[in-house]
Amino acid sequence: MFRKVFFIAVATALVASLGLSAASAQEDVNVLRVAATANITTWDPSLSFSTEALYMANMYELLLYVNPPGSEERFRPGLAESWDVSEDGLTWTFHLREGVTFHDGEPLTAEAVKLSIERAQAIGGASFIWAPLDSIDVIDDLTVQFNLSYPAPLDLIAASLYGAWIVSPAAIAAAEEDPEYFESGVDAGTGPYVLDDWTPDTEVVLRRYDDYWGGWDDAPHYDYIVVSIVPEAQIQQQMLEGGEVDLALSLPLENIDQFRDREGYTFYAEPSFYNYVGFLNTRRPPLDDVRVRQAISYAIPYDEIIEVGAWGYATQSRGPVPAGVWPYSEEVRQYHQDLDRARELLAEAGYPDGGFSLVLTHAAENQTEARFAPLIAEALGELGIEVEIRPMLWTQQWEWAKGNPEEAQDIFLLLYWPTYSDAGTDNLYTMFHSEDTPFFNLGYYNNPEYDALIEEAAMLTVTDPERAQELYIQAMNMLVDDAPALFLFDAQAVFVVPDTIEGFQYNPNYPFTMNFYALHPAQSE
Amino acid sequence: MRKLEFIIRRIALSLLVLLGLSVVTFTLARVVPSNPASLYLGPRARPEEIARVEEQMGLNRPLPVQYFYYLRDVLRGDWGNSIATKRPVLQEIGDRAPASLELLFVGMSLAVLIGVPLGVFSARWQGKPFDVVTRTTSIIGVSLPSFWLGLLFQIFFFRMLGVLPLTNRVDSNLRFTSPINEITGFYLFDTLVTGNWIAFQDVARHIILPALTLAAYPIGLIARMTRATMLEVLSQNYIRTARAYGIRQRIVIYAYALKNAIGPTLTVIGLTLAYSLTGTFFVEIVFNWPGLGLFTVHSLLNVDYPAIMGITLFGASAYVTINLVVELIQAWIDPRISLG
Repeated sequence: MFRKVFFIAVATALVASLGLSAASAQEDVNVLRVAATANITTWDPSLSFSTEALYMANMYELLLYVNPPGSEERFRPGLAESWDVSEDGLTWTFHLREGVTFHDGEPLTAEAVKLSIERAQAIGGASFIWAPLDSIDVIDDLTVQFNLSYPAPLDLIAASLYGAWIVSPAAIAAAEEDPEYFESGVDAGTGPYVLDDWTPDTEVVLRRYDDYWGGWDDAPHYDYIVVSIVPEAQIQQQMLEGGEVDLALSLPLENIDQFRDREGYTFYAEPSFYNYVGFLNTRRPPLDDVRVRQAISYAIPYDEIIEVGAWGYATQSRGPVPAGVWPYSEEVRQYHQDLDRARELLAEAGYPDGGFSLVLTHAAENQTEARFAPLIAEALGELGIEVEIRPMLWTQQWEWAKGNPEEAQDIFLLLYWPTYSDAGTDNLYTMFHSEDTPFFNLGYYNNPEYDALIEEAAMLTVTDPERAQELYIQAMNMLVDDAPALFLFDAQAVFVVPDTIEGFQYNPNYPFTMNFYALHPAQSE
Repeated sequence: MRKLEFIIRRIALSLLVLLGLSVVTFTLARVVPSNPASLYLGPRARPEEIARVEEQMGLNRPLPVQYFYYLRDVLRGDWGNSIATKRPVLQEIGDRAPASLELLFVGMSLAVLIGVPLGVFSARWQGKPFDVVTRTTSIIGVSLPSFWLGLLFQIFFFRMLGVLPLTNRVDSNLRFTSPINEITGFYLFDTLVTGNWIAFQDVARHIILPALTLAAYPIGLIARMTRATMLEVLSQNYIRTARAYGIRQRIVIYAYALKNAIGPTLTVIGLTLAYSLTGTFFVEIVFNWPGLGLFTVHSLLNVDYPAIMGITLFGASAYVTINLVVELIQAWIDPRISLG
């Protein structure tokens, strides 16, 4: 009998205690709980070239930052208070902020900048952005000079989200000894937050850096940022609505309309630098014929693709440069769906009723591509062209495309964004400049005239930006006419911010990141 | 003496199985058309850098040679570095295994604690409403996919009732109120021995739904298996004799029948235990549970072959060990099983 009573008592106690909800957070610390998809592929700021940018951008800082398109000033000072460039665009001098310390206590010096950039240039995942850099000179403690081998927009390069973080010299020395030094979660930046704790695939906790040069007294900033890593957008929405997080960075686009007019939320749909292209294999019949490529470009239902693929949150591309990023221009032409014109072109090329088939590959993990790819197949089907859609893991899709172009896919869907805010040396060069071995030019486009145009434009970007822009426009219109790719759409970045949070700023130059220092809880009453 | 010989023979056989498995996985992971060096460097690495890393990682050697070096390193305790996270694979597995194992342990305990009594009562009241209900529910438990059931649980207990949390192992506020002092990584255990009662409750609340989801399949299986063997045993002569002697029903069922009926159930439990190790993968995705399952999915998507190899070896070792232990327990419970 006693046993029974004891058992019941224990069971009751257990059930009762579980019913109590966990105690709420302490009153005196401001905690922001965020759901994000961003995983960590490395904690090494020089190597970082992936989703960990969300955290890097809050732990480390750049010499300067690019402001959002339409701002009065193009740049905003970071660790450099001011900078100047020589007439020929070859010598750039940065004057550093005084009194800045790294999280490990080291002071910010010109030497630290030199070491950081040299390390990024040597081992960085994005080391190629420093290609124009020849040498760095330390002028004095707070002045550093970059010498280039050809004129390039070093201000844009130094403001890159990848491969340009300024790192403590002590940490760089330690990483010299042990290449995996950063990977246990070492942070050696100057940013407003330090890495407090971290569990792979689960959670990243950032804590405020008390000695941050920007100070903490001007506004009620958050003391802690707790980021839950949640890959599923649906679960993020559940967490936001159930109050498990204060902010969710990736809500499902198909549900996001629900928040548009909902009380207590502010809705943002802003241009982003992501764009979707569909490379056309220019090295293999029948797409080696420019008329067939143009016909296909005329057959694409651009508006429907935006409606279905991006739930309407996108605009049709003008060439491969997304709206808002240099050297985008309204003067670049667009195709609009015109099946009659497409049929005419096909007939000219000798395919009056279509009668051939094409293989289209897309990244299986990209839901957007999976949604709109059938629309392309359907539209081409009307011209008598059969399209086989092959979803593949991104790595495999890319491996295949980098092989022999004559045996590769016909259409390659790609989501692309520039590494730093110069789509001239990135998008236009990386995707369409001729290559000996295929790398990212996956339409295998080879046009010496085009190559010459963008090479010249790149050299003039700093010294004669107007002329550079003209050349770029000429090059982009050349792409539209030669149609080595379908220019589908520039996606928008969509955010829903609860009214309990103030200070939200969106900057398309820094995708995948959020400036947590700018946020603060809304003042009640 | 025969026992020892049996154990040694089984262990040798298990090692052979693991070796064969490592050959197959290594080959499969490497014939996939993708380049580990370019994965290691990320999406925009230049061809020259890729060539340098290929050299560094020994990827330009013939495959059998690479396998030989891999095996040598594994035996030395170096399972290589994950391509995606750049950390040692063994450390990645070690960090995540406790979360999966804790979930597995709680799930299987629930399955046994619920499944066996259900089966016994079902057999005792064969054909009665209790039996009908149990049989129906156990079929549902066996046939509902776990990720679907998990979603239903979430909608019901989180969205509609608001009584249980949605995802993860602990509340993110816990670190500020009563942080867990990690000893083993098994949070229920860690919080209990450190007397961290608030954290214990939080951990328990978080594990209920995933554990129930994981247990659904084995509960049904165990209940049905127990019921079937109980019915068979209850119809045996010695039970009838015992009843004829007027021995109380409770003693007949629990002391005489259950002990003889539990053998096959034990086999099922052993097998589902190993099987559920992969079942946790689905559950972990739905509940964002930071265990091996999530890591496995990421590794597969990234073709992170050192990680895939590591997980396979770890999982296979666990499977083989569990089977070995179950066989030994069976032999111990049922003397009719010979150690041949």
